[in-house]
Amino acid sequence: MQDVQSTQDTVRPKRPLLAWFDVRSRKLGSWAFALNRLTGLGLVLYLFLHLVILSLLLRGEAGWDAFIKLARSPLFLLMDAVLIFGIIYHGLNGIRVGMVGLGYGVRAQRGLFWTLMVIGAALLVASIWLVFTI
Amino acid sequence: MTKEITFKVFRYKQGDPAPHYDRFTVPCDENTTVLIAMQDIRRDQDPTLMLRHSCHHASCGTCGMRINGKEELSCVVKVLDLGTPTVTVEPLENLPLISDLVVDMTGFYQRYTAARMPYIRQSEFNPGAEPPEGIDRYTRYENCIECGLCLSACPVAGSDAEYLGPAAMAAAWRAVEEPRNGDGKHALNWVDNEHGCWRCHIAFECSEVCPSNVDPAAGIMNLRRKLTGSSLLRLFGIKR
Amino acid sequence: MKSYHALIIGGGGTGGALAHDLALRGLKVTLVERGEVTSGTTGRHHGLLHSGGRYAVKDKESAVECIEENLILRKVMPGTFEENDGLFVAITEEDVEYSRLFIEGCTDCGIPTHQLTREQALAIEPNLSPNLILAVQIPDATMDAMRMALRFFATAKHNGAEFKTYTEVLDVEKTGGTVTGVRVVDHRSGKESVINADIVINAAGPWSGKVADMVGVEVPIRPSPGVMLALEGRLCNMVINRMTPSGDGDIVVPQRGLSVIGTSSWVVDDPDNLGLPSDHIEKMYAEGEKMIPAVRKAPFRAAWSAARPLIGPRGADTGRELSRTFKCFDHVDEGVEGFVTITGGKATTARGMAEATANVVCQKLGVDAPCRTREVVMLPHTAYFTG
Ligand SMILES: Cc1cc2nc3c(=O)[nH]c(=O)nc-3n(C[C@H](O)[C@H](O)[C@H](O)COP(=O)(O)OP(=O)(O)OC[C@H]3O[C@@H](n4cnc5c(N)ncnc54)[C@H](O)[C@@H]3O)c2cc1C
Ligand code: HEM
Ligand code: SF4
Ligand code: SF4
Ligand code: FES
Repeated sequence: MQDVQSTQDTVRPKRPLLAWFDVRSRKLGSWAFALNRLTGLGLVLYLFLHLVILSLLLRGEAGWDAFIKLARSPLFLLMDAVLIFGIIYHGLNGIRVGMVGLGYGVRAQRGLFWTLMVIGAALLVASIWLVFTI
Repeated sequence: MTKEITFKVFRYKQGDPAPHYDRFTVPCDENTTVLIAMQDIRRDQDPTLMLRHSCHHASCGTCGMRINGKEELSCVVKVLDLGTPTVTVEPLENLPLISDLVVDMTGFYQRYTAARMPYIRQSEFNPGAEPPEGIDRYTRYENCIECGLCLSACPVAGSDAEYLGPAAMAAAWRAVEEPRNGDGKHALNWVDNEHGCWRCHIAFECSEVCPSNVDPAAGIMNLRRKLTGSSLLRLFGIKR
Repeated sequence: MKSYHALIIGGGGTGGALAHDLALRGLKVTLVERGEVTSGTTGRHHGLLHSGGRYAVKDKESAVECIEENLILRKVMPGTFEENDGLFVAITEEDVEYSRLFIEGCTDCGIPTHQLTREQALAIEPNLSPNLILAVQIPDATMDAMRMALRFFATAKHNGAEFKTYTEVLDVEKTGGTVTGVRVVDHRSGKESVINADIVINAAGPWSGKVADMVGVEVPIRPSPGVMLALEGRLCNMVINRMTPSGDGDIVVPQRGLSVIGTSSWVVDDPDNLGLPSDHIEKMYAEGEKMIPAVRKAPFRAAWSAARPLIGPRGADTGRELSRTFKCFDHVDEGVEGFVTITGGKATTARGMAEATANVVCQKLGVDAPCRTREVVMLPHTAYFTG
């Protein structure tokens, strides 16, 4: 549809994965995006996992109790922490991306990112404390 | 003070099966830029090394390269400031390679000109100054020097070969922001598609590498705001 | 084997303007350039579209050429210049003294002047030195060195001229006393070939001596570099010149968001090895600061050297006193047919140089076609890449 030459290069074909995730020598924006994509995908994965696990309920009490026991193990709690990090990061960065993407706070995007991250860090610490103490 | 610096330079000649890197050692002093080092290599060691350059002061935009992995104008990067014993020099990404450090700018310029931005804008420098007799207002060139660094650094351009790219959309925003020979509608329509402003993922790499204060990412976001605004208004039956 | 009417060596402003002129006259033209176009002196110059004021006292011939070309180029290259005029600023009593000669010279050469008091000048350029005594407004303008020249290339390309970049001339082919073409290497592939043409034109700027050596003719050209300093921030909107006879660091040219101070002058043997003397950079600060004190505090952006193709005997040691007017040599006097050299001049006068050379070329080829570059409006610089 566009009457322009493609930016594809036969000698150096595009490598989309690298373009997105090779963040060496890239700045904040790329790191933020790469992490956003990873956490986004992680969250989708988790959603499925979550449904699979919930479906254990359908198989009766024994399986569920065994799972709850597993879920109380430190390793599992650590994974919870990672999940919480993912949710918090993705959600907060998502707010920034959503705002900036519609043209609000563009010049302040860096400050916005770090402000949200400070809030995120506080939330994360509080949540992890709750996870390990309750 | 001169220091021997090794350059690892990307090489490719048409007909080669694949690109490779060559190493050259060049004495560099505190004034030596990466561009001068490349020219010294061409003069003293390998006359076949191909590179683009013209103004030598960050004004023409031809000398863009990836220096130690980062998009830069090689004419303003001093070798010794890099602080690495080996300096890797590669051509820009996301444009077809011609040879060695030279890429084909055709696709860049096709996109860049599509927004029809005039190259002369109002000067905002020395705002209090009154223009001299015979001159209505001070004018100057647009900031963008058409170097393509932004396109090379942009991860979306790294995956979508049709992407309009940051510089072209920054030009579109300029055509909207300061309409000089039109109303900017053409530019707005032009970016309003899946290879245009909506494709951008707000990585800000373009603005990070831009050597000429264009801030293309902000331009793209402003285009989006404008487009979102007018489609919202349309939703409520208001036409502007 | 394809053959051309004319083959131009050197893709600077001069070669580009010549290709444009010849293409408009209907000739089959090709141009070979060893790098990207404007990678020689052209891209690196100061960016001043001379009004001629700089030469109005000592080099009237140059001054007249400048004002004529200045007016023509504004017409045929709309949108290419920052048309904010220029000022000659007098800071010392000596400068004021010189201003009388200056205004007289300008009037003689047809360069309009408009004298301003200190207050008037400071109102239009607030960053000028408080020591300012008076200023004279003249029709200087600013250009983007590469983009201005690219309009010649873009238009010539559109009219059928062929540009072969990254193609270096290794030798000139001769049959008897007649030049028949050039042997080139294409650096994209490393392949060598011969390109034939009825006439070969040497437009290699400071390299034209080297090209002449390939033919065995004498071109009295000396590469004479100058240092320039680019600072961040646009300290002035007009071109600021010091009201003195030509000297070092006497011009500040605003460009986009930069201020460029130039220049100095010395002589070298090899146009590929100019160097960048640190004391010349310091000189730019010192002299620039006298006109605009903010120069000293402005962040550094770049410093570089560029070589003038200065006409004069090769081997002499200072560059300033020579005339800057261009020369077109038909080497038939030296027993070589089919070879012309165009050199010297300024970016401002590239069109005029091309016109003179194209007249010679057409006469030699027996082509009767008038020059049209005074009227034909040129394509934008971007058309060189998109066309
Ligand atoms: C410091 C400085 C400041 C100046 N400021 C101004 C100014 O403000 N305004 C103004 O009007 N003028 C200015 N000038 C003058 C102006 O820049 C030059 O007169 C003009 O650019 C010369 O252009 P050219 O095409 O003749 O030479 P060049 O631009 O040097 O072109 C010659 C070309 O030939 C090519 N070449 C050489 N050898 C070969 C080969 N073997 N094979 C193929 N190609 C070859 C080179 O690569 C080069 O690109 C300035 C000059 C200097 C040095
Ligand atoms: C907390 C609320 C959330 C907000 C504010 C949010 C916001 C966003 C935003 C703005 C993007 C676009 C990023 C971009 O264009 O660069 C995005 C992408 C994405 N989100 Fe979310 N999100 C949230 C929750 C979730 C959840 C719960 C999931 C998983 C089920 C999820 C999965 C994804 C995925 C897979 C992507 C695509 C990633 C990509 O394109 O790289 N998000 N999110
Ligand atoms: S902000 Fe948009 S255009 Fe700029 S580099 Fe990121 S994805 Fe590309
Ligand atoms: S927007 Fe900036 S980085 Fe992109 S081409 Fe223009 S000057 Fe270069
Ligand atoms: S050579 Fe012109 S920008 Fe570097």
